[in-house]
Amino acid sequence: MKKIVYAVLATVTGLVLLFSYRTSLEAVPPGASGTTGTAGTTGTTGSSSGSSSDSTSSETSASSSTSATGTGTSSSTTSGSGSSSSSSGLKDGTFTGQAADTRYGAVQVAITVSGGRITDVSVPQYPNTERRDAQINAQAIPILVSETKSAQSAQIDMVSGATFTSDGYTRSLQSAIDQAKA
Amino acid sequence: MSVAAPSAVPSAGRASGAPVAPCRHVRTAELMGTVASAHVLTASPSPDPAVAARIAAAQRAALDELHELDALFSPFRADSQISRLRIGALRPEDADPRILEASEACVRLAAASGGRFDANRQGWFDPTGYVKGWAVEGATARHLAPLLVESGVIAVGLSAGGDMQLLTAPGADWTWNVGIADPLRPGAMRAQVPLRDGAVATSGPAERGAHIVDPRTGCAVVDAPTATVIAERLSDADAWATVAVVAGFDDLSWLRAAPDCAGMLIAADGRVRRWTHGVEIAEADVPWGR
Repeated sequence: MKKIVYAVLATVTGLVLLFSYRTSLEAVPPGASGTTGTAGTTGTTGSSSGSSSDSTSSETSASSSTSATGTGTSSSTTSGSGSSSSSSGLKDGTFTGQAADTRYGAVQVAITVSGGRITDVSVPQYPNTERRDAQINAQAIPILVSETKSAQSAQIDMVSGATFTSDGYTRSLQSAIDQAKA
Repeated sequence: MSVAAPSAVPSAGRASGAPVAPCRHVRTAELMGTVASAHVLTASPSPDPAVAARIAAAQRAALDELHELDALFSPFRADSQISRLRIGALRPEDADPRILEASEACVRLAAASGGRFDANRQGWFDPTGYVKGWAVEGATARHLAPLLVESGVIAVGLSAGGDMQLLTAPGADWTWNVGIADPLRPGAMRAQVPLRDGAVATSGPAERGAHIVDPRTGCAVVDAPTATVIAERLSDADAWATVAVVAGFDDLSWLRAAPDCAGMLIAADGRVRRWTHGVEIAEADVPWGR
């Protein structure tokens, strides 16, 4: 039974990659966004569903722009091998999110998963203003440890965390990296 | 001030299978209540002695500049210009021009963040929440960035207490892999960020307790999340990470006013929200077969 549960979890995690993209300034009630009928904009998981419903943002009405700015692109497309990687929980392939309206213009994000890891994040639709910014941040999405096959500290070059005191530093991974022993 | 001896041990190989593991030259210094680390990566274990000397000199210069700014800006030192401005022992027009520069930046941030960032919340100018990121960004640009033209140097980075500015030589086969600490599990990573050029800053209640105050209410932020912001410049990343913490886990509306950035919030209960280019990336709860 446990095995079955694990298999289901792996698949669910793979499907999780059908990310929905919405502008952060929009408070999209799960019900409202679900009416778009697209896979990419259905309700979110526990990580943010609570905030979606109880946000008091005055921009709630803007939620319709999520679909409005879809500009005809299907919300999520999948290509690639499509082989699932149960060991890591991520499904291989390329997943393209729905375009979302931001203050910079319409932004669309695609991710590529290979071997269970997010290997590339690209922005096929991006306001053509600051090309360099796009380059800088294209890969900058934080990849959750649960999305990687391993998160060995040996692969970490720098550690970002809430400011540690100099005392905390001596116990930290950053300290170990600085001594080139990590 | 403690300065670790520059080490020249090859770092661990890249997951991507880069042919040659770069050599990491590190110098650290205790300042601003934390520890700063200046990293310079070279392609070969032992760069030309002249290059090695310039690397060491640049690292010293970068850390010295942070020391100098700490002495100028620290509200914890009675002899800092910030402290003397506060008690009226120094006239604003006589202050170091960098104080005016920081002050103007803080005014802009207070307006852009809707008061969530406010260096004057205590009735006097205390730019502590701004200076570290701004200082690290400047020291990196002035002292470490010029090393990228040196033979064999592939990347430079400067971190102070977990907030960092990273640069990579054009064409170099290198990407920094920044670990984002898990505030709920000390010593563990919650996420990784691959980054060639840019800044990463994290703010939150971990490590220092409830030191984050909402300037709009004067109260400590309850259940404050830990916020990581990735931007081109550390002055932005650091300041807006603070804004994100004050705003709380449920509020990303500040992204409207923030510079183009990516990032992550980790709630006190472990929930996560992420965004890139001002767009939240949420995990879709999709039905089977889609």
